[in-house]
Amino acid sequence: MILAQDLPTYSLSTCFKEGIPVFASEQISYRGEALGLILGPDPGSCDELAASARVDCDEEEPEREWESFSSSQIVFHYSAEYGDLDAKFDAASIELKEVYRNGIFDHHYSEPVGALAQWEASKLSVHCATQWPDDLRRHLADVLTVPESDIVVYPTEMGRTLDGKLWYPSLVAAQAAAAAKISGKPVRILYTREEDFLHTTKQARSAVSIRSGSDDQGRLLALDIVILINIGAYNPLASELIYQAVSAITGIYSCPAIRIEAYAIRSNTIPLGAMGSIGATHAFFAIEAHMNNLAQRYAKHPAEIKALNMLKKGQSVFGAPGLSNDIPFARIHRELEQISDYPRKYASYELVKKRDPGCREGIVRGIALTLGYQTGRSFSLQSGGNVYSVEVTLDRDLRLRIKTQAAIGSEPLKTMWRKTAAEILSIQEDHIDFLLPENTHSLPSGPMTLSRGSSLIHALIEKTCRSIQKKRFRESLPISAKARTRPLKTQAVPENLFPGAQLFDSVSWCGTAVEVEIDTLTGIPIPLAVWMVIDAGKIVNQQTALASLRASALSALALCTANDFDPLEAGRKDYMADSGLRMLQLPRIEIEFIEPDRNTAARGIGELPFITIPAAFYSALTQALGLDPRQLPLKGGEILRLLEGS
Amino acid sequence: MIIDVTVNGVQRHLKSRSGDRLVDMLRKELRLSSLNADCLQGRCGKCLVFMDGRIVHSCLIPAFKARGGTILTFEEIAKNPEVNDIEKAFHATHTQPCPFCHTAKTMVIFDLLSRVPLPSEEDIVEALDMVSCPCGDPIGLIQTVKLAAELRNKRKFNREA
Ligand code: FES
Ligand code: FES
Repeated sequence: MILAQDLPTYSLSTCFKEGIPVFASEQISYRGEALGLILGPDPGSCDELAASARVDCDEEEPEREWESFSSSQIVFHYSAEYGDLDAKFDAASIELKEVYRNGIFDHHYSEPVGALAQWEASKLSVHCATQWPDDLRRHLADVLTVPESDIVVYPTEMGRTLDGKLWYPSLVAAQAAAAAKISGKPVRILYTREEDFLHTTKQARSAVSIRSGSDDQGRLLALDIVILINIGAYNPLASELIYQAVSAITGIYSCPAIRIEAYAIRSNTIPLGAMGSIGATHAFFAIEAHMNNLAQRYAKHPAEIKALNMLKKGQSVFGAPGLSNDIPFARIHRELEQISDYPRKYASYELVKKRDPGCREGIVRGIALTLGYQTGRSFSLQSGGNVYSVEVTLDRDLRLRIKTQAAIGSEPLKTMWRKTAAEILSIQEDHIDFLLPENTHSLPSGPMTLSRGSSLIHALIEKTCRSIQKKRFRESLPISAKARTRPLKTQAVPENLFPGAQLFDSVSWCGTAVEVEIDTLTGIPIPLAVWMVIDAGKIVNQQTALASLRASALSALALCTANDFDPLEAGRKDYMADSGLRMLQLPRIEIEFIEPDRNTAARGIGELPFITIPAAFYSALTQALGLDPRQLPLKGGEILRLLEGS
Repeated sequence: MIIDVTVNGVQRHLKSRSGDRLVDMLRKELRLSSLNADCLQGRCGKCLVFMDGRIVHSCLIPAFKARGGTILTFEEIAKNPEVNDIEKAFHATHTQPCPFCHTAKTMVIFDLLSRVPLPSEEDIVEALDMVSCPCGDPIGLIQTVKLAAELRNKRKFNREA
């Protein structure tokens, strides 16, 4: 049995002031936090021993009212102001203040977390399903005080993780590695689905308050925004979450005066963190919902208010580098209207609502459009967060070896990368192998999130293959080429802007329409259809892109329809209940790309469904209900109550 | 207790504790890695096996119910040429499942095509509902099944011809 006192100073400290203990000792920070490990050759006997162990502790009250927090709970705070806020509010004809809330969600990744650690003399090898092998190695070196070069991390195959495996695997790997060192034996830790569901990271809960002032036409004059993100007991990426939310909170709108206060709040619940588009989902949902509210106040169509406030070429918020081109709003909007039949449906649902405001006749439907973007911004604040590298070698037998730490994860990605390499070098796709570098720290890699890492790696593979192709008929094989992304130039960012932000760099635009029906017996919202029009430059492999976007679209819809995860009430039975839409309830999903064969660099698109769908879903729900519940998700019972009260 | 059961064509006498599910017994006693005990609710499909010819979630079956029965797992099913067709279809439609549900999706499609060689979209949707996958592309998966059916029928037809 290994407890905290058996480990000298072990704590995952990076980015988190007080550190994250490998095992809890004095204080247990959340229900399910590990106190120690019982080691043995037979998992069944270990389970029996663990079941017979007794822990005496005083219980704390759960912090349910987390929105009123004390200063000791603030883990990270960001604040910025731009323009003369008071003067603009004074000049405003309409002032509107609302709070928008997002719940906790499970990532529903395919396999529970686990790690296998083994020491050979002073060298440590770790097998682990992680999205960020480099970070895991850094953490282990820090925790175990061994040089990074003595640690090899073998990332194992994963399903889609939705950012649930960014940092938590580091904790489990540290537990396994420490136990392996003490016991002198290889140690494997594997969570059951139930343990994973109940006690590991989820999407953070948020509350975003927006106070806006606008002129008589509906033009934004001032925005006063407070973002609260509940990160649970621990989250080493809290600052990243805040920055991503802050940089997305103004959406695609321009405003001459803005004040933002953003807080990452600690509470005594399970660790809460990133999901899909890190903090951007929370932010887009809030600003889009607010723009809809504004449209209602002006009795205007939402698209009209949005178009009126949209950023133009050269404009930006907070003095960041401006847009190099106008937002392709008109084109995206036109195509979206066409494929979704939006104008006709919107008008007829409005009519139905007017005729039958209490929804007594049984048809309650809504449709909404939203426009959002994904930038190439990456984990700029974390050490190594935006560095990716690959090494490619073409051998004498015309086999290509692509070495990258990021290569392990996903088959569809590898298929896409293979296709590109095979086309450039005119070799067969099945002659291309992906390998882990033997010396993992020589080829660093940032996190493999939905599409941030993958588009950068794609560009690097393209670059290295072209370089090999150039040399190929002048030099003898084998020929190798290495490439890595350049670290972000933070000195180019204006003073008032947060470090690492680069608004609108390699941006992908997306318009999304969602149509929703509400079951009037149960109140459950049923997504009927999703349409997406995407302008993201060249799409390397349209089929792969479509498959991945459809999958993400369904996950994003599940965020809107699932039950809010309640760490105190949840049980195993809840796991599959919310894990996504069942085959039998599939909505229609149509996705179109604007000029996908253009000769531009590939840009990330994987987060677009998470950025745009919750906002569009929520707006469609408000149209259907004729009410504005200001929170996602909404349970059927809550919707029924809203309808009854209306 | 000891359960006598035929697994993948071999007669076995497997140890099981009271309360064990079929999936636990098969994993523990035979170390069959194609099976996973994951949701334990008959939803994720990662524990699918054929029991006396019918595809079932082995997490929902008490181990003792398998007594005298015949179990086929992916290890055996993978020997069929149909699995090759399915594999090709996964590749062609870019819907390769993750390693954790790969066997489950293959088994479900295998079962469907052996019952209904030309399945309708409703047949496909109903069959795939046995594997609840929160991360795949279900629309692409429907195309996969159609393509697998086509490949299978072509192969069989050519052979017969
Ligand atoms: S473990 Fe049997 S269906 Fe999930
Ligand atoms: S569970 Fe494997 S692809 Fe979803």
